[in-house]
Amino acid sequence: MSDKIKVLDYKQSDNEYLHKDFHGALCYAIKYIDERYGFEATNNYLQMVGKNIYPPLIARIKKDGLVALVLHFKNIFELEGGKVEIVYGGNRLTIKVHECPAIKHLRKTKQLYTHRYCETTVQINKAICQAADYNCTCAYKPGQAQCVQQFWGTE
Amino acid sequence: MISCIEFIPAYSELFKFLEQKGGKQAVITFWEHLSDSFLNNLRDLAAKKGLAGCFEYWSHSLSEEAADFKMTLDEENNIFTIEMRKCPSKGRLMEAKHLKPYHAYCEHCDLLYRRVLEPLGFEYNIDLSDCENAACKLVIKAKK
Repeated sequence: MSDKIKVLDYKQSDNEYLHKDFHGALCYAIKYIDERYGFEATNNYLQMVGKNIYPPLIARIKKDGLVALVLHFKNIFELEGGKVEIVYGGNRLTIKVHECPAIKHLRKTKQLYTHRYCETTVQINKAICQAADYNCTCAYKPGQAQCVQQFWGTE
Repeated sequence: MISCIEFIPAYSELFKFLEQKGGKQAVITFWEHLSDSFLNNLRDLAAKKGLAGCFEYWSHSLSEEAADFKMTLDEENNIFTIEMRKCPSKGRLMEAKHLKPYHAYCEHCDLLYRRVLEPLGFEYNIDLSDCENAACKLVIKAKK
């Protein structure tokens, strides 16, 4: 083959699926909806995401309780490499994010970051919990890449 | 946080959301905005290195997206091609039974990248006729 020809031939199994630049695309989307349609529209979009893409997780929460969320968050943070503390006991789950891997990546790669980015967590958790009949809160200070998410049962 | 492995369904939902707001034109306007603001990496690489920059850009992104593809850079004939055997985005949307992909999901690839590359003088062609099987073919030619 000529040295003027380069070929890359990969099967799906040749690489791990982890494209962190997607966090940047989501940031642009949030900023875009905020600016064009307003904060309420962005919140509606994020709740639509929570409701439409997480039915399998919602079903597991309904079946197994908060332990389903424990496993969900453990998987995500192991994959993305974030610093997190997960406290689960009784009917309450607390997720303390000490360093959000998404925001860390955005900063490291100098991509757009919007302070509204953390609303993804707030609104999506809210939609999932409403569907699964649980309660939740998420406290964060914009830009700190940290948050405390709490989940508890309705009874 | 939406994990980056959950982004594609959220992206597809975004297109549906925008279409509900303002029809297909609202989706296209967003794609144009994203192309202009988010794809500077491809724009810079293609402007600086030509088709080799395209090869560099997609080598990185398609590897991280675990795509099933063959990519060829032919610098003798000034042609760069991607034969996408299984698109990681469309493929995952189709595999998840609880998801209904946005009806024109694959069109974003046409608009986003064409809008970057044609102004730089490249000829951009994408065949989306097999996108219902998560397959497509992209051919980019550079002016000699």
